[in-house]
Amino acid sequence: MAFYEKGDVKIYYEDTGGSSFPLLIIPGGGLNATIAYTRNTATAPFDATAEFKNEYRCIAFDLRNANGGQSSGPLEVDRPWESYTDDMLGLLDHLGIGEFMALGYCIGGPFIWNLLRRAGRRVVAAVPTQPSGFRPTQPTLFYDNNIKGWAPALCERRPDITMAQCDEFLRNMYTKRSDFVFTVSRDFVRDCQTPVLVLPDDVPAHPYAVAMESVYLAPNAQVSLYPWKDNPEKVQLAVRHVRTFLKANRPA
Amino acid sequence: MPFYQKGDVKIYYEEAGSGFPLLVIPGGGLNSTVAGLKTHPFNPLDEFKDQYRVIAADLRNAKGGQSTGPLETGRPWDAYTDDHIGLMDHLGIKGFMVLGFCIGGPFIWNLLKRAGDRVVAAVPVQPSGYRHEMPELSYKNNMKSWGPELCERRPDITMAMVDTFLSNMYRGERADFVYTVSRDFVRQCRTPILILPDDVPGHPYAVALESAYLAPNAQVSLYPWKMSPIQIRIALRHVRAFLDNNRPAVAAQPLAVAAQ
Repeated sequence: MAFYEKGDVKIYYEDTGGSSFPLLIIPGGGLNATIAYTRNTATAPFDATAEFKNEYRCIAFDLRNANGGQSSGPLEVDRPWESYTDDMLGLLDHLGIGEFMALGYCIGGPFIWNLLRRAGRRVVAAVPTQPSGFRPTQPTLFYDNNIKGWAPALCERRPDITMAQCDEFLRNMYTKRSDFVFTVSRDFVRDCQTPVLVLPDDVPAHPYAVAMESVYLAPNAQVSLYPWKDNPEKVQLAVRHVRTFLKANRPA
Repeated sequence: MPFYQKGDVKIYYEEAGSGFPLLVIPGGGLNSTVAGLKTHPFNPLDEFKDQYRVIAADLRNAKGGQSTGPLETGRPWDAYTDDHIGLMDHLGIKGFMVLGFCIGGPFIWNLLKRAGDRVVAAVPVQPSGYRHEMPELSYKNNMKSWGPELCERRPDITMAMVDTFLSNMYRGERADFVYTVSRDFVRQCRTPILILPDDVPGHPYAVALESAYLAPNAQVSLYPWKMSPIQIRIALRHVRAFLDNNRPAVAAQPLAVAAQ
């Protein structure tokens, strides 16, 4: 049971350890993203830790205040994306890791772009997997999903957090950032030289158009086959692409 | 003007760059030539010469090409594959990678069948394959656009011979899958393969994907990948990473050394 602690923040993580190059795995599941998401084939198309632990030091964690997870901390209403990114960078600092690669499911997509913006020199390569993004035809989707599917349970187990605070948190996270990948601009992506491999999806919260737009903009982007989750064979083809990509970008 | 010659066979080839050998098989069906690479979605001679020794050849008896040889009606696929392997031998190359457009797909599988220990990795690009709803497509295309012109410039070759050649190449038991090998062969082929699918009549998407599903170390590019220059660049980044990952650490061994 490993925890990284900093002030009021306590982050549960799992680390396969070893001396191989670090791979940060950001689970999906929106604000309820936990390690359990990546281990369950009903939620994640593949378990990145199981796939890559023989080649990489895989580090996964529960998102701060995710329901069902073991990570907790204050609700930083004014800086939602930044507070989560603090936790990721803080965890890696705690583990003594400088450079790393990142693979993130769903909400891991916006987190990856924020990591690239804030710690671009440390992120050697990144794999947004079925990444989240803004869909103009459903502009309140993320706010609605989280105000219903995340906030009530959080308020129930955390008397210090109110629904009004959750409302403000989610407005700052999604409503006031309602464009593209939420966390960075198109100009940032256009200038980002870090190799990126995107595995697109096209459910309401994971718009294919945004995934492809980021691929077209990023000068060193690759993209997997699509669709890639309809059968186990395609998932394996995509995972082989990820393996090739990670290996090609792993420092010697 | 380099040529490889063996008996009655004379194969024109070009080389660019240095490094681990990458055999490029141009597309264009039986009229596949080095010059034709200029019309392809990308030209590997330009694209990969910075890191690889890229070698491309005109197909034996292709229209507009400089390669010639007998029409081996009893063994069409193997005659061409003889030329590919013979050219590699001639250049003193043992291990190599191969990237083939269109008809290069079936040729790659035949190379893997006949010289699997030499082919380190392979990239079928918009590969040809058999399409059940158009069973005579490849036969008819070549009877019309390759056979007559070949007979005109080669009095030793008749349309009857061309018919036998094409029938043995595309009809009968060959009229299935990737023409040159069985599904069982692909299922057991451990060589890393990266497929860039297409879906025009001669390049069925279903066959490209089926071979990717079957081959235990296959990958597939984005699809479609030829609609815009940016898509082509994205696919090429995948190809480059794939080639780099599979390139042996040690430089290509000359045949003489490898034989010791």
